[in-house]
Amino acid sequence: MTVNHKKYVGFIIKRDWIISTVWLLALGAFAYLLAVLYPSLFPDETSMQGIIATTNTPPMIAMMGPVYGIDAINIAILMSQECLIWFAIAVIVMNIFFVNRYTRTDEELGRHEMLVALPLGRLTNSSTIVFLSFMLNFIAAGFIAFLTLASQMDGVNLCGALIYGFSIGMQGFVFAMFTLLAAQLFSTARDSMGIAFALLGVSYLLRAYGDMNNHWLSYVSPMGLGLKVEAFYNNNFIPILILFAEAMVLAGVALWINSRRDSGAGTFPARKGKAHAGKFLQTPLGFAWRLSRNGFYAWAIGIFVFGVSYASVIGELDNFVEGNEMIKLMLQGEGGTAQLVDAFIALLNRLMALLVAIPMINCINRVRNEEKRGRIELIAATAVPREKIMGSFIIISVFEIVMLTFLGAFGLYVAADSSELVAFDELLKAAFVHLPALFVMLSFTIFLVGLFPKFTSLIWALFAYSFIIFYFGKLFNVPNFAAKLSPFDHIPKLPVQEFSVAPILIMSALACFFCALGVYYFGKRDLNK
Amino acid sequence: MHPISITGLSKNFGKLAALRGVDMTVNQGEVHAFLGPNGAGKTTTIRCLLGILKANSGKVEIFGKDAWKDVVELHKRLAYVPGEVNLWENLTGGEVIDLILSLRGAKYNKQRKEHFLQRFELDPTKKCRTYSKGNRQKVALVSAFASDVELYLFDEPTSGLDPLLEKVFQETVLEFKNKGCSVLLSSHIMSEVEKLADRVSIIKEGKIVLNGAMKDIAAQGKKLEDLFLSQYEGRK
Repeated sequence: MTVNHKKYVGFIIKRDWIISTVWLLALGAFAYLLAVLYPSLFPDETSMQGIIATTNTPPMIAMMGPVYGIDAINIAILMSQECLIWFAIAVIVMNIFFVNRYTRTDEELGRHEMLVALPLGRLTNSSTIVFLSFMLNFIAAGFIAFLTLASQMDGVNLCGALIYGFSIGMQGFVFAMFTLLAAQLFSTARDSMGIAFALLGVSYLLRAYGDMNNHWLSYVSPMGLGLKVEAFYNNNFIPILILFAEAMVLAGVALWINSRRDSGAGTFPARKGKAHAGKFLQTPLGFAWRLSRNGFYAWAIGIFVFGVSYASVIGELDNFVEGNEMIKLMLQGEGGTAQLVDAFIALLNRLMALLVAIPMINCINRVRNEEKRGRIELIAATAVPREKIMGSFIIISVFEIVMLTFLGAFGLYVAADSSELVAFDELLKAAFVHLPALFVMLSFTIFLVGLFPKFTSLIWALFAYSFIIFYFGKLFNVPNFAAKLSPFDHIPKLPVQEFSVAPILIMSALACFFCALGVYYFGKRDLNK
Repeated sequence: MHPISITGLSKNFGKLAALRGVDMTVNQGEVHAFLGPNGAGKTTTIRCLLGILKANSGKVEIFGKDAWKDVVELHKRLAYVPGEVNLWENLTGGEVIDLILSLRGAKYNKQRKEHFLQRFELDPTKKCRTYSKGNRQKVALVSAFASDVELYLFDEPTSGLDPLLEKVFQETVLEFKNKGCSVLLSSHIMSEVEKLADRVSIIKEGKIVLNGAMKDIAAQGKKLEDLFLSQYEGRK
């Protein structure tokens, strides 16, 4: 390593350390939280066997991976079986962002050009990223292992904790190298990141299919391979070595392509586009749609697949309950099978509503992004009033909410149809009843962009809060007033709860008020970077 | 009624006073050069003219109407080319030009657009992310020149253009001037200003420090560059 190489490593660390520290702390907090939580969720053997009976069904295996160690079950095995994959996904996402940030994004924005003009090798950047992403995953793996060990839960041991942590970290490293490779092939940051996330999806689906059918495809997917470690049971370290080897091969190919290509260029050339704008694109609404549509398509597919995949669980839920006398007895207090399904539907629709909020917030925040990038002035210098610019994005985001809400419910319906437990109109009601909460989130976003453009990201704090309340509100016995800070908590849980008009009306009125305020002030304030 | 009339324009960003009482008038049918070093307030002034920024005090009028209040009406009658042109990566140059022309709502025809596409040698089928700085500027210039408006606001429009295209720009501005259009041209290129401008305003630390006809400057036997530099180096 040359002196400049060392300086370059320092330079990347200097740019990155805050973001990565936040990621690692969040991961660690979650790892520790779960490690502490699991023993209280499953206090004895019976409850563990109970949950295993549920997770050992094809839909749940598809979701979380194969069940193992039933004969020697303990809390550590249970947690590893149910949680490893989610941590792997989180770490993979961290890696995709990390690598893309310092490769294709830098190149696209022309920052890379200033650096390559210095006495650095052509591969300095890529090889630094290989080294640093290895370090990042090494730290993440060690940190997760340490915290799991520190929880001292039943069945935890050093070897198992290390296997658990490093399976997660090594999956992250493989995807870091996938992203590095994608950055060599595609000429824009959007494309390379898109392809990396697509690979994540494919890897998850291959694993789901392979795990369900005991098929070799599980081994093709890095995520499937990562689950084969069977932490705290077999503690098989071979998959970790294979993952490392895969990552090194990917790194080698990426570096080889990098050494041969022009800086700024991809292997796949950018396509030629249209010389003229269509009629629709020439309107503010068409313009807003054009900027939002790609994300919308991705979300439309995603939410539909989400609905379909969870619907298969509904079917199983029913069969499972029917075929198991003990569970049936346990559920009698809750009113039996039909109520169980209803409760599940209410839960799913709330989760989908929360997910739909993400593209909606993104759509409105795009207005602020356009402003930050200095592009909105091109539009603001034309005869389009600013209220109309904002209005166009609001119309598109409402369209997105309605379509995505419908698609999620439709996905649920299509796949759950066979069980005939779910009426489509009930499902639609349960889904669309969330619209007022989404409108409130929407109006807050507009309000922030209009009045406090520097603080638009605050909406994500409210979103994260709502998400945490949704997931953990019951578990942690969050007091009622705190739960009610989430707009979603005011929505009646159809079909379990009764529909009530009051919260719907109040929230709609609130949404209109903040929306109007936001739009008004967006028209009145300075446009600034 | 002047195309542009600014009196006592002040603009603060927090504690920083970017403009401290700017006075400027652009007459009908003239090319008015707007000079000043980086950070003197040229772009801020132009943004106030466009209603992108709101003046803290003073009067900013275009064609006798308030630049902040009558944005929509006024923007049908003017075209703007920013100094740093940022475009939408996934739209082509041709799509951006059509979009801007259409949103501006002023008269334009296809021939006129094609004419300027050719004159500025711009390939409209490329995605904006692949354009260089100069090409992005050409997108903005074509979308400005292709519409039939009365006033053009240019903020360092030629900083990324090669000398051949700079010449095309100058020819086009003179053609438009002869048709009776008014032009506000912010620039650092003295030779360009000397060729094009009828009058000039020089801004320093948020105030206009010199304002005069190019004819008079020439009659006094002074060079614009020396005059400009003397404003800033004089304090030494």
